[in-house]
Amino acid sequence: MNIARHVAKSAFRFRTYATTAYVPPASLATLQRARVPPPKPKPESPTFYTGRATYYDQLLALESAAKHTRSALQELELLPLPRFAQENLPPLYGVWKNKLDLGELMSAKLTTSRYRRFIAQLNQLNEYRRLAEVAGHVELAERIQRVLGMFERDNKDAILARGKRKPVKFDEYGRSYTIGRRKESTARCWVIAAQPAEGESASSATPSEATEEVTTEVTASQTPDVPESSSPPAIAASIEGFESPAPSVKVSTTNILINNIPLSEYFPHVSDRERVVRPFRIAGLLGAYNVFAIVRGGGSTGQSGAVTLAIAKALAAHAPDVEPLLRKAKLLKRDPRMVERKKTGRAKARKAYTWVKR
Amino acid sequence: MAFPQGDSKALKAYGLPTNVLVDYLLLSRPCSVVREVTVQALDQLDKAAGSSSAQTRAVFTGKPGCGKSYVLLQAVQYAIQKDWVTLYIPRGIALVNSSTPYVYDPRTQTYGQPAFAQQLLKRFVDVNERLIKDLKVQGSYPLKETAINSSSPLLDMINIGIESQESAPTVLSALLTELSKQTKFPVLLAIDDFQALYSLSTYRDPYFKMVKAYHLTLPRTLLEFASGKQSFARGAVLGALSSQNTTFRPPLELTEALGLLPDVPSNPYVRREPELIEYAKGLRNFPVPEQLTVDEAASIFDIWHSVKALHVARGDEVFLTKYTEAGGNAREFVRKSLLQTVAM
Repeated sequence: MNIARHVAKSAFRFRTYATTAYVPPASLATLQRARVPPPKPKPESPTFYTGRATYYDQLLALESAAKHTRSALQELELLPLPRFAQENLPPLYGVWKNKLDLGELMSAKLTTSRYRRFIAQLNQLNEYRRLAEVAGHVELAERIQRVLGMFERDNKDAILARGKRKPVKFDEYGRSYTIGRRKESTARCWVIAAQPAEGESASSATPSEATEEVTTEVTASQTPDVPESSSPPAIAASIEGFESPAPSVKVSTTNILINNIPLSEYFPHVSDRERVVRPFRIAGLLGAYNVFAIVRGGGSTGQSGAVTLAIAKALAAHAPDVEPLLRKAKLLKRDPRMVERKKTGRAKARKAYTWVKR
Repeated sequence: MAFPQGDSKALKAYGLPTNVLVDYLLLSRPCSVVREVTVQALDQLDKAAGSSSAQTRAVFTGKPGCGKSYVLLQAVQYAIQKDWVTLYIPRGIALVNSSTPYVYDPRTQTYGQPAFAQQLLKRFVDVNERLIKDLKVQGSYPLKETAINSSSPLLDMINIGIESQESAPTVLSALLTELSKQTKFPVLLAIDDFQALYSLSTYRDPYFKMVKAYHLTLPRTLLEFASGKQSFARGAVLGALSSQNTTFRPPLELTEALGLLPDVPSNPYVRREPELIEYAKGLRNFPVPEQLTVDEAASIFDIWHSVKALHVARGDEVFLTKYTEAGGNAREFVRKSLLQTVAM
């Protein structure tokens, strides 16, 4: 029957040759017909026949997503972007899976050209995402990110954070903890905002207030007696030569302790002290913060340099506005100079032995 | 602010501690900052004017460079102005560093320092002549040439000591005894480098052992006043420790009596000299604050600028920088922070 149908069909189609084998009519009755094969299901996607279905599926999905995003952005008048806007966009970082991982995802080994094509699509979509983000269309950006997220590396954040400094943390008292290094020394530094100096405003005539200092000639025979009331303003008021004492100034001061020793005691050399105080000077924050540092290793120059770096980092954390100033002054840079090693054939690192002509 | 004019006779007469002298040589006019601690010290002196010196025996202590010698100097100046009889020894180390000759006196069994005593008597007269010219001797003292008896003028006795060096130590001891008896004027005994009185001197005895300071006549007398064994009827004894000379450091007995932390960790088994413990009994610690306040430092900054001694700008930022670098310490502020800006 089937064969007959076939023949009929073929006849209907005007074929002049036979497409099936000839069976004599006498044997038609005893003909064994083949079992009807079960109907094959249609492949879900036309990419089934490509042999790398998942890959092409993903690729086509990306392309369609890019198409839709492009039209959405054009509607939002974000594309095409003028040149100045394009130049001022934040930098784009794409951290995609590598060829092997992507191949695992696609359950098929990827060749380089296929991988590159895929990455190109991802980058294009990433650019649209950046555009949407910068323009403030958060939902659109999030939707694109959901698509792209599947193809990003797991340690993407770690890779992007490489080379960036960890933000300085503050504890519950508002202290920052920073580390500075120079030569062989390491300094650990805690910086806390100084309490504003307490005291009344600068009306200096009241006797019982906080100290207000006056200078007196030491051996003046005409200097009258110091009165019973025990405060310098009262003295000043009674001494002949003084018309009006200088107004009292209430200023908070920076106290620096290094290994629990005051700065002036720990560093006898003035150059070391000036180096330590320099970040405060440049930032203009003298008197604003108190410092406690523990420093180990090296000598006085190394230790003072290490404390300087730690203080500079701490000030940049407490007052982010001064960071450009400190950066310009090269105080936030760890001085990479270290002691150069001695070489063979030389007395020291560079010093050579006396040259002998013969 | 105008500085009152006056001559510095007492200053020139007694001399100055070395560290103070250096500052005064650089400044055109000697001056010092009046601090809270100065006011407290002067208050103490006022209160002590009526009572025995045994009740007011104070020692200025504090970190190196905090201003102990300056406060003592200010107290001496104040006492002079207030008509106290003042005996000021600006460099106590000169007593014990064998810089002047010494002679054994068998009567007192101590070593006298005739040259030093004579010079001290001269200076005493220079400063206090106006006050003591009417005082009369109340006891009688055996002296080699003439015996001094009662109701002769005190100045005569002092002049004996000034004229003949060998009797100067005896005269000085007698003078101090006389001053302790009289009640007309309060007496201030002020000693800088106070710890020198409690240390070993660099003099040698015939067995080449170092002579202890309390075996020298004048330091012994000073120690007796400092410990209250002898006392002025009216007056006070003030001392100031000094850390400048490391050969003469405050001994354990003195640091314990004053309640200070010893330089070297010690324990109950370290030997303490009973004589020194006796001489250090009852001394009161008068701590001088470690840091100058901002106002005090600003005054000093102003003075040095007005003398045109500094090569830095006169401004808040420079001042605060120098103050922070010095950590508020007075000596560091003046010597290292300010004066080192001048290229020597």
